[in-house]
Amino acid sequence: MSDDIAVRVDRISKKFVKNFQRSMYYGAVDVMKNMLSIKNRTDILRTDEFWAVQNISFELKRGHALGVIGPNGSGKSTLLRLLNGIYPPDQGRIEIRGHIGALIALGAGFHPLMTGRENIYLNAAILGMSRKMIHAQFDEIIDFAEIGDFLDAPVKTYSSGMYVRLGFAIATQAHPEIMLVDEVLAVGDANFQKKCFDRLLRLRDDGTSLIFISHSMSAVERLCTECLLMKHGQQLFLGNTRECVQRYFHELSMENLERSPDSSSIGVGDVKISDVFVFQEHGDKKNPNIEFGKNIVIEFKYVFLKKESIKNQVRIGIRTMEGRDVQKMYFHESAFPDGKIHTNEIILPLKKEGLVQFTLIKPRLFPQSFRLDVAVSPLDMDVHLGGMVNAATFNVIHPSSGSLYLEYGNMSVTEFEYEVSTQ
Amino acid sequence: MSTLLQEDRTVVIYEPNQRVKMGFVRSWVYMLQNIYLSRDLVWQLFKRDFVSGYKQSFFGVFWLFISPLLGILSWVFMNMTGILHPGDVGVPYPVYILLGTTLWGLFMNFYTSIASSLASGGSLILQVNFPHEALVAQQVAQTIANFLINILMISLIVALFGVSVTWKVIFFPLTLIPLFLMGSAIGMVVAVITVVVHDINKMVQFLLSILMFLTPVVYASTIQNAFIQKIIPMNPMTYLIGGARDIILHGRINNSLPYGVSCVVATVLFLFSWRFFFLSEHKVAEKI
Repeated sequence: MSDDIAVRVDRISKKFVKNFQRSMYYGAVDVMKNMLSIKNRTDILRTDEFWAVQNISFELKRGHALGVIGPNGSGKSTLLRLLNGIYPPDQGRIEIRGHIGALIALGAGFHPLMTGRENIYLNAAILGMSRKMIHAQFDEIIDFAEIGDFLDAPVKTYSSGMYVRLGFAIATQAHPEIMLVDEVLAVGDANFQKKCFDRLLRLRDDGTSLIFISHSMSAVERLCTECLLMKHGQQLFLGNTRECVQRYFHELSMENLERSPDSSSIGVGDVKISDVFVFQEHGDKKNPNIEFGKNIVIEFKYVFLKKESIKNQVRIGIRTMEGRDVQKMYFHESAFPDGKIHTNEIILPLKKEGLVQFTLIKPRLFPQSFRLDVAVSPLDMDVHLGGMVNAATFNVIHPSSGSLYLEYGNMSVTEFEYEVSTQ
Repeated sequence: MSTLLQEDRTVVIYEPNQRVKMGFVRSWVYMLQNIYLSRDLVWQLFKRDFVSGYKQSFFGVFWLFISPLLGILSWVFMNMTGILHPGDVGVPYPVYILLGTTLWGLFMNFYTSIASSLASGGSLILQVNFPHEALVAQQVAQTIANFLINILMISLIVALFGVSVTWKVIFFPLTLIPLFLMGSAIGMVVAVITVVVHDINKMVQFLLSILMFLTPVVYASTIQNAFIQKIIPMNPMTYLIGGARDIILHGRINNSLPYGVSCVVATVLFLFSWRFFFLSEHKVAEKI
């Protein structure tokens, strides 16, 4: 192992058992075999076993940060536990050079009845720090945790924020040479998140190697130069973070397209809707991934097959993948002579056929997947002349740069402003 | 294999079947080394449990002084009222019963504390990598600490009843070692299994409480009962408890041959279950 490599993972695999009874049975068999000094066959799957992590390889240099991303259940946390030595691997080899620290559970082993001071020593001992190390860094820990007068109060009196701050402070104060971070930035308020993030950046710049699991792509992109994409326990991509994040979004949208219900026509058949696209303004029409905060364009074609109705409205519905309504929008041919756009009322002169583009201005849709329904109806009757349910699927994704997401918080604000154009 | 060991190993390697490949003697060194390196952790855990155990109680640490007395009250009462015929115990019955139950209690405490060590450390095991031996070491330390306080009480009672002890009582601590070996032998096996099958610990505890009545703890080994007389000569606990009690009461070990055999049995069991523990405890995390 060359000197500047901190972690080397070589074709590592880990299998789990789906069935609890079988899990116990296999456990008993394995231990019995081991007692007779027989090694277990760890390379084959028995009934009900599956690879939670399969064939993952990477190298991590000193002072570098590797992001690990992937959909839920892709084996990220299992990989982290393998690296931390909590699970023994079934295949492959892990080499770790240097003291390793983990931000997996903050405040692990805190005892509610003991004071903050006592718990600092306890927690640090669990994390493998010596008393001397803690003594030397005690002030820094309480400084970062901002617990003030509560230092000598039992931790059960702490707010949950104080609790995680203290946990984070102890874990990072150990200045490990390698740090495993599992989605801990998700807890705490925005201030705390920023503070923690800054601490991680500083650790990295001071030479700590980071392995960083997160669903926040902006955080991954800011922290990591390299990134590993996992899906179903397997390694889909390893390399440049930008590229990896794009691959991830591609995977996500592919998955959503697979999951999304088939589109189906509705209505009496007087109007045919076709070529429905949702995409980012000025972006590729075929790319349904829209960065958070960017304008969203909804485009479709329509044809009146039978009689041309005089007063019609276009109905657009945005729903989550689970089917929950996010927003219903009605746009109808309006009689306003001034030609100005009023909220929810716009001039929409529908011809015999044409193309309509709606542009939603900075819709605050929280990053996730949505589906779209489109229909044309007469203004005075609750019937669809024609339309399409699940006409398109699109994904709002984390912004690739900046902290727009943090600024807006986690709200999905569903009051839209929009522009319409017809051809 | 653990973060703590990195003080003396620059590169840590994780591979499949790592523990099976480690030989018997080597694994001894490994585990003892782990306990030594995690001494800070053992001390912190010890403090945590000691404090929390008595912080929310009225009598606090005084429980350790009174609990042996409360424990023998019912036996003494049954003896005085004639419900219990323990046979000829040779010394005042309260002294006999106090020694017997305390020694049995020590054995049981070694068992119960070790058996529950992994299960009670459960969430911790999933979250942090630390030598799990520390949990066991802490439990043993806890048991010994409690026993030391018990000893003060016992010496007082023994002196009070005018039972004289010889200088050979200094060997008494040695006779506790087989009790430790036996208790932890059962405890280490149960510790691993009970993580997965929760009721095994309770079941074994129940069986052990029956075993107490098949061991001369509350009665003399000369008790007139055909069934018990058949069982107790084959029961190693008869000799392990008896030996420790004899050292105090008589300054020698009666039945020294079966006592020696029992010690060997305890040692073999201990080595066996210790290997079992070593081979299986690191797999506990994925079964929690």
